[in-house]
Amino acid sequence: MKTRRRRTSRKTTGLLPISFLLLVLLPLLLMPLGAIYIFAARGGLGHFIRTFSQSDAQFALRFSLLIAFATSLVNGVLGTFAAYVLAKYRFPGREALSVVVNLPVAIPTVVVGTSLLLLWGPLGLLGQFLDPMGVQPMFAPFGVFLAHLFVTFPYMLGAVKPVLDELEATYEEAAYTIGASRWQAFRFVILPTLRGGLFSGTLLTFAHSLGEFGATVMVSGNLRLRTQTAPLYIFAQFEAGNIETANAVAAVLATLSFALFFVLLRFTQRRSQRVA
Amino acid sequence: MSIVLTDLTKRFGRNLVVNKASLEVTDGHLFVLLGGSGSGKSTILRMIAGLIQPDGGTILLNGQDVTLLPPQARGIGFVFQNYSIFRHMTAAENIEFGLRIRKTPTARRRERSEELLDLVGLAGLGRRFPDQLSGGQQQRVALARALAYQPAVLLLDEPFGALDVKIRAQLRKTLKDIQRRLMVTTILVTHDQEEAFELADQIGVIERGSLIEVGKTEELYHRPRTEFVADFIGGSNVLTGRVRDNQVKVGSTVLPLPRGIASHDEERPVRLLFRPETVLLQSEPFSADSGVIALGQGQVIERVFAGSQQRIRLEVEGLQEIPSRVPQSDYGWRTTQIEAVRPSEAEPLVQFTPEQKFWIGLRHYHILETVGLKMLICSEDSSAGEAVANFGCYLAQAAGGSATMVSVVDSSQALVNARERLERLREQWLGQLPHLEIRVRQGAAGGEILLEVQEGHYELVILGRQKSSKEARPAAFGSTVRPLLEQVGVPVLMVQEPRSSLGRVLICSAVGEPGKADVRIGGRLASLTGGLATVLHVRSSQETSEQRRRAEQHLRQALSTLESMGVKSQSKIGEEPAIDHILSEAEEGDYDLIVIGAPAPRPPRRLRWHDLANQIVSGTHRPVLVVPLVD
Repeated sequence: MKTRRRRTSRKTTGLLPISFLLLVLLPLLLMPLGAIYIFAARGGLGHFIRTFSQSDAQFALRFSLLIAFATSLVNGVLGTFAAYVLAKYRFPGREALSVVVNLPVAIPTVVVGTSLLLLWGPLGLLGQFLDPMGVQPMFAPFGVFLAHLFVTFPYMLGAVKPVLDELEATYEEAAYTIGASRWQAFRFVILPTLRGGLFSGTLLTFAHSLGEFGATVMVSGNLRLRTQTAPLYIFAQFEAGNIETANAVAAVLATLSFALFFVLLRFTQRRSQRVA
Repeated sequence: MSIVLTDLTKRFGRNLVVNKASLEVTDGHLFVLLGGSGSGKSTILRMIAGLIQPDGGTILLNGQDVTLLPPQARGIGFVFQNYSIFRHMTAAENIEFGLRIRKTPTARRRERSEELLDLVGLAGLGRRFPDQLSGGQQQRVALARALAYQPAVLLLDEPFGALDVKIRAQLRKTLKDIQRRLMVTTILVTHDQEEAFELADQIGVIERGSLIEVGKTEELYHRPRTEFVADFIGGSNVLTGRVRDNQVKVGSTVLPLPRGIASHDEERPVRLLFRPETVLLQSEPFSADSGVIALGQGQVIERVFAGSQQRIRLEVEGLQEIPSRVPQSDYGWRTTQIEAVRPSEAEPLVQFTPEQKFWIGLRHYHILETVGLKMLICSEDSSAGEAVANFGCYLAQAAGGSATMVSVVDSSQALVNARERLERLREQWLGQLPHLEIRVRQGAAGGEILLEVQEGHYELVILGRQKSSKEARPAAFGSTVRPLLEQVGVPVLMVQEPRSSLGRVLICSAVGEPGKADVRIGGRLASLTGGLATVLHVRSSQETSEQRRRAEQHLRQALSTLESMGVKSQSKIGEEPAIDHILSEAEEGDYDLIVIGAPAPRPPRRLRWHDLANQIVSGTHRPVLVVPLVD
């Protein structure tokens, strides 16, 4: 209610800056996005059906969703745990550790892929011992999973840690004095306050995993029906000249991302409204 | 007894936060722990709750030793200053949380939360979330939550600190009513004395980790034992007098020694307390038959309007040379200052305007437990150590204070020898210093002395110093002295060659900020031993006129302050270089003590003055008193 009133009372002058902003954004953001749908639609519905009746397109989308799902699940738990430890305990090297866990944001994803290859690849630091045993994490679905865990790790942390930092230390202590065990305090007192952070963190992780390209292309080997994710499929089709096919999958991927994003937007809006 | 604490101790690193606190709280009583910030009061409360593990001592709750139990197993209710009620739960869910953990049936839980909401005055608001409640209401929920499972003990950590005055008063009343009704033994921690008086059955005053005094509220206010409590609680006037013929002599005024006060030694200094609101002021002299003891005539310095009352500060000529301890006379004032409080009136009959004169009378006063300077004498096992110990004992006796002699040894074999040696010294001084304590500690000298000073709250540390050979490094402040000055902030008297008396004191001041603390502590020692104080200022060769004016003003103020303490004093001005001048002045005047400010914690190279302390200590064989920087 309050926000709505505030919005209407805001003056609608400033026509010039607004139109200027739109003018800049149009070629920068809006038109490229529109182009995907326009090209995808060119082939007509028939083309969509033809594309998605192919097994490798189906596989690419399915595989992407599966990886994204698994990544959000594992990083959801791991990121929350990391945030809890970093927010609650003071220990030597804490500062360094919080830099390290946020590092994946700063490193180019292609470099991430390379470094994973150098560790787990057949000639890598650890991989050279695994290879004789017949274990090959790289160029396999598991390698893709590892890359996605690496790349998306900071998102959960970034969503949860601020909430935990803001939480007074006495919050947990209050639960203890009332008689709650450590687990009960976490389960009934800490976790519920994290709901919002967990939700947006998971969504962000999912969305990023769905679109991940740089690291995936390095570690997957781009094997059809084995390690090819949707973004890789799009790229491969584009290179092969099947622009319509690429566009069809791209349109689906974009729509999925939009949907996720709007859910996230609505959610954060509702939360900020409640706080106000 | 629901709560019994014995020798509870807690250290954070090298800092002693709680120092052997012992306490018993009567069943059903509300006990208030009153202390300034950083006094350790919250730490005690958190140790009782089990949120902090003590380093020593025991905690008994209802006869059970809970020292090692986790907070969950102690059966306490705790209320935090910042409410800490759970945001995602409604008020009722918050209250029920303790019962939910204890697996109480839902119906019973509902019933109990309704009951408690009613008790704390929030009936009907159970379904609200915390962000729909005001701060005061949230704290009421927190109180109800802490009481829900009927804890044996209720602990409140500055519960009203974050609330405004009006709501605070309401909540105090609610808390008092509930506590009376439920008869739950309660400890409340606060820095607010008004709150303490209003709520408490008993108050414990805590300072630097030590429980200074425990008592019933009115007893503590009107008849405190110690000067600290007299000063800490309420406004106060504390004057120093001397006992003579079973009377107390304060300046030219003679007061009868109140009954019930142990007969004091003749000529011993005593401290006299009277509260500002008991001071009588009138424009004519008090008649002899009024039963009022006239303190003399005073002149109003200032009047401050403070709402319901007005505070009047007077200076009293007749009490010259009477050190007023509290309020401490403004620096640079010659006369004794006394504070009086009068109710405010819309149309006052008597105006208290500055420079007006009034007769000051007393009806009640209270004699405080006398303590002189509390000294720690560090005595090493050597002939020099013996001499230092004797000098320290002489000082302690002259200062009328209590003294503890400590010896630090590095092995357990040496313990016995050291103890025997100290025992012998005690025998020697038994006549003059009946309360001399001795202590032997084992460990590294620096650390052990630091601990002893922290635990014992000494006001002066006396250290022996080896005669410096030429090769010795010039830095005189080793690992022992520096932490004493910087961490504890206690003056350190470094003795190389003990003197037979303390008749002449040289207080040094030079380029840079002159130390008021130096003047005060130097003056205090001189006044206790009846000596002459010389304030020496060393002038810089490029002194500006502004600097000169400031220095002259400082000297004037220093002399006035010394005079107000009853010390004969003089001032001298010298030329740079400071170190040479001070040392030669010390020789010429044959001073018994040199008082100097401590060096800055990390002295920048260019501040030569601060390095002076080191140079003087290494440059003279006379006792040097190094006074820590006070902020």
